[in-house]
Amino acid sequence: MAVKAGGFKRRSGTSSDIPSSSMADIAFLLLIFFMVTTVFRREKKRDIDWVNAEATKKIDEKRKNILHLWIDTDAQVWINDQAIADQDIAQVVRPLYAENREIVIAVRGDRDVPYSKINTITKQLQAAGAVRVTFATRLEQRMSRPRR
Amino acid sequence: MPILNRKQRVSDEIPTASMADIAFLLLVFFLTTTVFNEEKGLPIVLPEEKEEQEVSAKNILFLIVQADGSVVVRRGESEQEQIVAYRQVEGILRQELAANENLIAAIKTDPSAAYRHMINVLDEVKKAGAERISLQMVGE
Repeated sequence: MAVKAGGFKRRSGTSSDIPSSSMADIAFLLLIFFMVTTVFRREKKRDIDWVNAEATKKIDEKRKNILHLWIDTDAQVWINDQAIADQDIAQVVRPLYAENREIVIAVRGDRDVPYSKINTITKQLQAAGAVRVTFATRLEQRMSRPRR
Repeated sequence: MPILNRKQRVSDEIPTASMADIAFLLLVFFLTTTVFNEEKGLPIVLPEEKEEQEVSAKNILFLIVQADGSVVVRRGESEQEQIVAYRQVEGILRQELAANENLIAAIKTDPSAAYRHMINVLDEVKKAGAERISLQMVGE
C-alpha cells in the first residue's frame, strides 16, 4: 500500500507542549514528598552565647547519630530537653550509646561556663563510653589576622 | 432588555491552570524557609576510660590555660615557662611540631577558666594541625 502524499503531510500525533494539566500533580507530589520526609527536631533551643573558633569544621554525620548536650548560662546540663544533674550524665548517655554505637556528642556550651564543668562532663562521657565528642562552635572570621 | 438572556460568566469550577502555580509557590516557600541546622564544631576523640597512656615527657607540650585566658607554655622536660597570648599558640605549636612530629599538645585548663578560653586554645591547636591532643584540668 502506497503512502498517501508521500508521507509528507502526516502530522505527528504527539504534542510538543509540556502538558500543563499534570503540572499541578507533579508540584503537589513534590510538596507532599518534602513534607513527609522532613524531620522536625522537637528539641528546644537553649539560649546560650556560642563560642567562636576559626578552625570550625562541618561535622559530616547523620542527624540521628548526633546527640546534643547543652550547657546553659547557669551551667545546667540538658539532654533531649531534660535537665540532667552532673553525676547522672553517664547514666543517661550509656543506654543511648548502647543503642547507637556511632553516636557523637555535640557539646553546646555557653562561653562563660567554668572549665571544671566541661571536665566533669567529659569524664562522665568517658565513663559512658561515648568518646566521640565535638565542641560545637560558630565559625569565627577575623577581619585581620595578627602578623607574625 | 436582554437581561434574561445574559449568561452567567462566572465559572463554578476551580481553575486548574493556576493550580500548578499555587503548588510551586508553596514548594518554593517551604524550600526557602527551611533552615538546615548543620552541625559545626571542633571534633575530638576522648581516650577510653582507664586507658590513659604514659608518654615520655619530651613528647609533651603543656599549654596551661589560666583563669584570665592567658596561656603558659611549658615544654615537657624543661621547667621553663613562657606566658603568651592565646593567639601566639598556633605559631609556637607549628614550630614545635616541625621539630617533633610525635608531639602531644596537652591543654591543661584552670577549673575556674571560662569555657571560651579553652576553646580559643583548642582552636589554635587545631589550626596548627596537631593530631594528638590531650585535655586536662589543672589540679588533677
